[in-house]
Amino acid sequence: MSKKETKHTFEQSLSKLEKIVQALEQGDVALEDSLKMYEEGIQLSKECLETLGKAEVKIKQLTKDLNGKLQLSDFEE
Amino acid sequence: MSDNKIVSVSELTRQIKGVLELGFANLWVQGEISNFKLHTSGHLYFTLKDEQAQISAVMWRSRVAQLRFRPADGMKVMVRGNITVYEPRGNYQIDCAHIQPLGKGDLQIAFEQLKQKLFNEGLFDDNNKKPLPEFPQKIGIVTSPTGAAIRDMIAVISRRFPSVEIILVPVKVQGLGAAEEIAQAIRDINDRSLVDVIIIGRGGGSLEDLWAFNEEVVARAVYHSKTPVISAVGHEVDFSISDFVADLRAPTPSAAAELVVKDKNEVVELIRNFCYTMTSTMNNSIDSYKQTIAHLTQSYSFNKPHDLLRQRSQHVDDLHRRLEQNLTHQYVLLRQQVTSLDSRIKTLDPTLVLKRGYVIVRQSNRIVSKRKDASNGAVEIEFHDGSIDAEITGKRK
Repeated sequence: MSKKETKHTFEQSLSKLEKIVQALEQGDVALEDSLKMYEEGIQLSKECLETLGKAEVKIKQLTKDLNGKLQLSDFEE
Repeated sequence: MSDNKIVSVSELTRQIKGVLELGFANLWVQGEISNFKLHTSGHLYFTLKDEQAQISAVMWRSRVAQLRFRPADGMKVMVRGNITVYEPRGNYQIDCAHIQPLGKGDLQIAFEQLKQKLFNEGLFDDNNKKPLPEFPQKIGIVTSPTGAAIRDMIAVISRRFPSVEIILVPVKVQGLGAAEEIAQAIRDINDRSLVDVIIIGRGGGSLEDLWAFNEEVVARAVYHSKTPVISAVGHEVDFSISDFVADLRAPTPSAAAELVVKDKNEVVELIRNFCYTMTSTMNNSIDSYKQTIAHLTQSYSFNKPHDLLRQRSQHVDDLHRRLEQNLTHQYVLLRQQVTSLDSRIKTLDPTLVLKRGYVIVRQSNRIVSKRKDASNGAVEIEFHDGSIDAEITGKRK
């Protein structure tokens, strides 16, 4: 588990971003609300792009120890 | 026997048994199954026949367990076994060690039979298929830790969408116990709710090699998995039972990796488009507000105060004009009045009367206009051209 776990999953963030874009495009949002939404949208897109920027796949393996208990460990190819 | 020696039925049967069982050991017989019966004891009983003859056949429970398919009436088979004699009934039969279907292999038959069975139970129903997550964060992979399949999948996922975590559950993918290991792995990963999607699979091989993925225990584990499962077994042409039960079949493990994650670059492109759309809509919206404001400031409503002011001042002017008119009128009237009064006043001017010979008598600064107001003493008599002093000396009768 990373310490800085964001509140939303990537999928949630992206879908929220999509909704904001749609709402703004429809144009029936009050100016002040739309400015807030715009700020949130830009923030979300930053977060998403940051997630996408991660360069390496993390690989773990799920194995059983001697007592038959499941444990996660790093996987060496 | 040459001495017409009489033997008992038991003796005869024993001798026949000896001849038959020694003479017909470990042979292969081909025929069609009929009167097939799986006894509650677990033993199989059937008749093997062709057009002209038939022979009873039996397969004991311990060997039945090793059969991969289920024999049925009308099935053409080859059996390997020995002839045995059942003394109590004087019957001979073939005791089968192995049965295999003619034409198709036993694995093929087993595959079709299990497929039909699970289909009938509804394990392949589309209604039961779970949607795959669009952006899984954790991907479980149930496969051999040493095969080409895992390397290929890691490579594809790393290339396409590296911001995920892969959790490998290493299993045997062929040989004894492989199916049970795969099924257990699927259950373990489900129990811990570890991942968003599971890929089970292995690289290509013979039907024998891929067999674990055709076993019922794997099919049921896939069916009961709460996490969506992608089945990726062998090559494109290989179909396995797990493919039919899984929520998605991938033709190969690499293809599964392609299907499970989107291409990062496409998503980046999508997000950039979102940003562009948001920014341009915001700009458009602000421009349009600006335009609206500009339009409003030029509008009648916005300028109404000015207009009102103008209207009011016009009204004032109007009133003023009317007031002036009124005043002029009044003035003329007043002038006429004044003129008439003036002429009347002029007729009343006392000096004119004085000029005609009248005088004004004042005593103690009061005008004496009546006889009784006058008393003896000094008086002032005013003429039109000046005054004189006089004295009243007495009143006449």
